[in-house]
Amino acid sequence: MNDFLSLLPLIIICSGGIVLMLLSVLETMKTETASYISLGFFGIAFFIQFLIACYPESDLFAGTFSSMLVANSFTGVAGLIILGAGFFTVMSCHTYFQQNKVCTVEFYSLLLFASCGMILLTLARELITAFISLEIMSLAIYILVGYDRKRVTSTEALLKYLMLGAFAGAFFTMGAALVYGAAGSTRFVEISNYISSNSAATPLLIGGAFFILIAFLFKVAAFPFHAWVIDVYDGAATPVTGFMATALKAAVFTVFANFLAINGALQKEWITFLFYIALFTMFGGNLIAIGQSNIKRMLAASGIVHSGYLLIGLIAISTKSFTGSVIAYYLAAYAVGTLGIFAALSYLGGKNESRVSFDDFKGLAKVRPYSAAAISVFLLSMAGIPPTAGFMGKFYIITSAITEGQIALAVFGVISSILSMWYYLRLIICMYFNEAEDSFEIEKSPFAPACTFILAVCVFAIGLYPIVI
Amino acid sequence: MFENVLSVMIFLPILAGLALLLFPVGKSGSRLTGFIVSVIIFMFGIELFLDFTGNGGMEYAVNRPWIDSLGISYSLGIDGISLLVLLACSLLFPLIFAVYSGKTKGYYANLLIAQGAMLGAICATDIVLFYIFWEIMLLPIFFMIGLWGGEKRLAATLKITIYTIAGSLLMLAALVYVGVSYHSQFGAWSFNIADLRNLDLSGGFAVTAFIMFMIAFAIKIPLFPFHTWLPDAYTEAPTSTTFVLSAIMAKIGVYAVIRFVIPVFEIEFARFALLLSLAGVVGMMYCGLAAITQKDFKRLLAFSSASHMGIIALGVFCMNIQALTGSLFQIVAHATSTGILFVFAGLIEERMQTRNIADLGGIAYRAPIFATFFAIAMLASVGLPGTSGFIGEFLIILGAVKFNAFIGFLAGTALIIGVCYMLWMFQRLFFEKSNTKTEGFKDLSLLETVTFLPVILLILFMGIYPQPFLQKIEPAAELHVAGFTTMTVTETVAETVVPAQEHDTHHKN
Repeated sequence: MNDFLSLLPLIIICSGGIVLMLLSVLETMKTETASYISLGFFGIAFFIQFLIACYPESDLFAGTFSSMLVANSFTGVAGLIILGAGFFTVMSCHTYFQQNKVCTVEFYSLLLFASCGMILLTLARELITAFISLEIMSLAIYILVGYDRKRVTSTEALLKYLMLGAFAGAFFTMGAALVYGAAGSTRFVEISNYISSNSAATPLLIGGAFFILIAFLFKVAAFPFHAWVIDVYDGAATPVTGFMATALKAAVFTVFANFLAINGALQKEWITFLFYIALFTMFGGNLIAIGQSNIKRMLAASGIVHSGYLLIGLIAISTKSFTGSVIAYYLAAYAVGTLGIFAALSYLGGKNESRVSFDDFKGLAKVRPYSAAAISVFLLSMAGIPPTAGFMGKFYIITSAITEGQIALAVFGVISSILSMWYYLRLIICMYFNEAEDSFEIEKSPFAPACTFILAVCVFAIGLYPIVI
Repeated sequence: MFENVLSVMIFLPILAGLALLLFPVGKSGSRLTGFIVSVIIFMFGIELFLDFTGNGGMEYAVNRPWIDSLGISYSLGIDGISLLVLLACSLLFPLIFAVYSGKTKGYYANLLIAQGAMLGAICATDIVLFYIFWEIMLLPIFFMIGLWGGEKRLAATLKITIYTIAGSLLMLAALVYVGVSYHSQFGAWSFNIADLRNLDLSGGFAVTAFIMFMIAFAIKIPLFPFHTWLPDAYTEAPTSTTFVLSAIMAKIGVYAVIRFVIPVFEIEFARFALLLSLAGVVGMMYCGLAAITQKDFKRLLAFSSASHMGIIALGVFCMNIQALTGSLFQIVAHATSTGILFVFAGLIEERMQTRNIADLGGIAYRAPIFATFFAIAMLASVGLPGTSGFIGEFLIILGAVKFNAFIGFLAGTALIIGVCYMLWMFQRLFFEKSNTKTEGFKDLSLLETVTFLPVILLILFMGIYPQPFLQKIEPAAELHVAGFTTMTVTETVAETVVPAQEHDTHHKN
C-alpha cells in the first residue's frame, strides 16, 4: 500500500497529462479551463506527496519493478519541489498567456508530462530508467521552450537546446553502456556491490561514470557545459524558464546525488574533478551574470552560480549516511526564490515580454510597491541574506562543506556570494532608487500576483522553519 | 520584569515597522506610531537597567531550540557587557522620532526595523541568531541612505552595502567553521556562545577564521584601514540615519568583538592585540587629522566619530579590566555625545540649508540654548572632566598605558587632536564674525529643549556620578578578562612545549 501511495503522485500527474491531451481535441476546450484542470492535478499530487514525503527509504514494488524505483524522504522532498514548481508555473502561465496569446491546451499537457518525467527521474535507481525518464522530461521541455514558434529567439533557443540536449542524452547512454560493461548491471545497488568488491578505478567504470557525469553536468548547466543556458532561458516563455530553472534542476540534482552516493569509492574518484567544476561554475556564472543587462539572462547566469553551490553540496555529501537533506533544502530554497521572481516577471513583463532589461524596471517600487518588495525578497533570498530561505540553504551548504573538510570550497562559495551581490543589488537599486518611467500596466489576472505573494511568504516560512533538515 | 521582555523589545519595532509598510498610514500617523513604539522600548530599557542585578551572568535569558539538527537555538540574554549597548539603543530612538518630521512613512518604518534588528543583535547569545540580526540591520540602512540620502547617495549606498556584506559573508564562513570545530571536539552541535567559549582552536584555519571575524567587525566599527566607506555614508545619509549608524550600529561592532570574538579566539586575539590596538590608535590619529581639514561640518563629525570609535576599539584590544570597562562605558558616552552632535548638525542644516563651515558663524549670539547644549555635547565628545566622555576615555588610556606605554602615549596624543578640531569648529560655527546669514537662526523651541534636556543631563550625570553604570558593567567585564588571562597563561605554557616536541621528532627523522 505504501508503495502504491509513493507512486500515486506520479500516476496522477501522468494521467493528468493524458487527460489533457485527449481533451485538447475538443474545439470547445479553452486554454483557461486546461490551466484550471492542470492546477487541480498538480494540487492533488502535491497534497499526496506532502503526506508521504517523510517516509523512510523503501523499494517501490520490489517484485514488479525489481528495485528500479526507490522512494525515500529525499526523493519525497524533490517530488514536492517539482510538483510545487509545476503548480506555481501553471498559475503564472495563466496570467502570462493573457498577455502573450500563444497558448494551446497541449501546453499544459506537456507541462504535466515533463513533471511526470522529472518525478520518475528522482525515483530512479537504475540507469535505463534514469535515461528514459530523462528523455520524457527533456522532450516535453524542448517543445515547451520553442512553444512560441513565431518568435525568433524562442526558435533559436529550441534549436540550441535540442541539439545539445540530444548530445547529452547520447553521452548518458554511452556512459550507461560502459558502466554496464564494467559492473554487469545497470542497477545502482549492483554497481555499488561491484565497486565494493573491486575498484572504482577500472577504465570502463571511469569512462562510464565520466560520460554520465557529463550528461548530468550539461542538464544542470555546470561549467563548461553552461553556454546554452543563457540563450535558452532568454528565449523560452517566462513561466517555462522558471519551471526549467527550478523543477528540472531539482530532478537532475536528485538523480545526480543518488548516482554519486552509490558508493563512497565512486564519489572519492570524482571529488577533485567536481571541486574544479564547482569552482569554475560559481565564478564563471558570476562573471556572466555581472555583464548582463537583461533580467532573464541575468537570472539564467545566476542559475549557473546556484548550480555551483549545489555542486558544493554534492561534493560534501557523506556517502555513509546519505540523506540528501542539504541538497533538498537548498533546492527548495532556490526553487521558491526563482519561481517567485519568474512569476513576478510573467505578469510584469507586459505584452510580448516587452519589459526585459534592468532599465525597464526602473522605479517599479514607486508604481507597484508590493511587487517590488516581493521581487526584493526573492533577490535577497537568492543572494543569501537572512532571515530568508536562501540564507539557510547557503548556511547548510557551507556547514556541510566544512564538516567534510572542504574548507577551501566553502570560502570560495562565500566569495562567490559576495560577487553575486552586485547583480542582485543592481535590480533592487533600479527598482527603488529611480523615478518611474513606465506605468506598468498589467492584465488583470490575479493568479501570477497571488503566486508571487504566496512564494514571498514561503521564502520566510522555509527560512524560519527549516523542517526538511 | 516579565520573562520574554527581550523578545518583545526586539519584535515589537520590527512588527510595527512591517505593519507600517503594509498598511496605508499617513506621514504623521507613522511618525506617531514610531514615537509611541520607541517610547515603549525606552520604558522597557529603563526598567531593564534598574532591575539588572549585575552579578556577571546572563539575565533575562531565553533559550529555545530552533534548528535542532544543527544546534541553533533562539537564545537571548543580557549581561554587563551588553547592558549599556542595549541602553544606548533603546534610549535614543524616541529623540529621533520627536525631532525629525517630514519624512515619508517608509522612512519611519525602516527606522523601526533597524532598531528591532539592532536590539536583536545585542541580545542574541547564539552566534547564528546574532548573524541573522546583524544582516537584517543593514537592509533598513541600505534603503534609508539610498532613498532619502543626499545627492551622491547611490555611490554611498553601494559602498557601505558592498563593504558590510563582504565582511559579514566572510564572518558567516568563519562562524560555520567555529560551529563545525565545536562539533568535532565535543560531538554535538552548538552555536551558543556559552558553549563555544570552551573551544580550543589553533592552527592556520583558526587564524583565518579570526581574521575573517575581525574584518567583518572592523568594517562595521569602522577600524582603520576599513573606514573608507564611512565619510561618504555618514555625510550622504539623512541625519537620523547617520545618528543610528554612528551612535548605535558602530557600537554593535565593538560589542560583538567583546561578546563573540574574545571568548572563542583568546589565543589569536592575544597574538594580534598589539597590531589591532595600533590600528585603533592610527585610526584615531588619521581620522582626527582628516577631521581638521574638513570644510563640511557633517563630514567633520563623521571623521570625529570614526576617530572616537578608534579609542573605544583600543579599549577592547588592551585586554585588561580598566580598558574594557572604559570601552563599555564610553560606548554609551559616545552614543549620547556624538549622537546629539549629529542631531544638532542636522538641525543647523535644516535651518541654514548649508553644511559649509565657512558660511556660518555667530550662531551663539542668536541661539544661546542651542549653543550651550552643543557645547556640552562637544565637550563630552572631547572628554572634558565632568562629562561622560572623560570617565570612559580616562579608563581606556589608563588601561592602554598598562597594556603598552607607547600605545597609551599615542592614544593620549590623539585625544589632543580631537580637542583641536572640535574647538576650532565650535569657534567657527558659533562665535567669530556675526554673519548676516545666521541672523534669522531660531533657537531651540520649548519642545526641542525638553527633548534634548534629558540627554544633556545624562551626559553630565554620567560624568559626575558614573558609579551606577560602572557597578553594573564591572562584574561581567571582570569575568570576561579573568577567563581570558587564565587562558592565555596556560596557552603560553602549552606553546612553549609544542615547538620543543616538533624539534625532537624532526631530529629523529
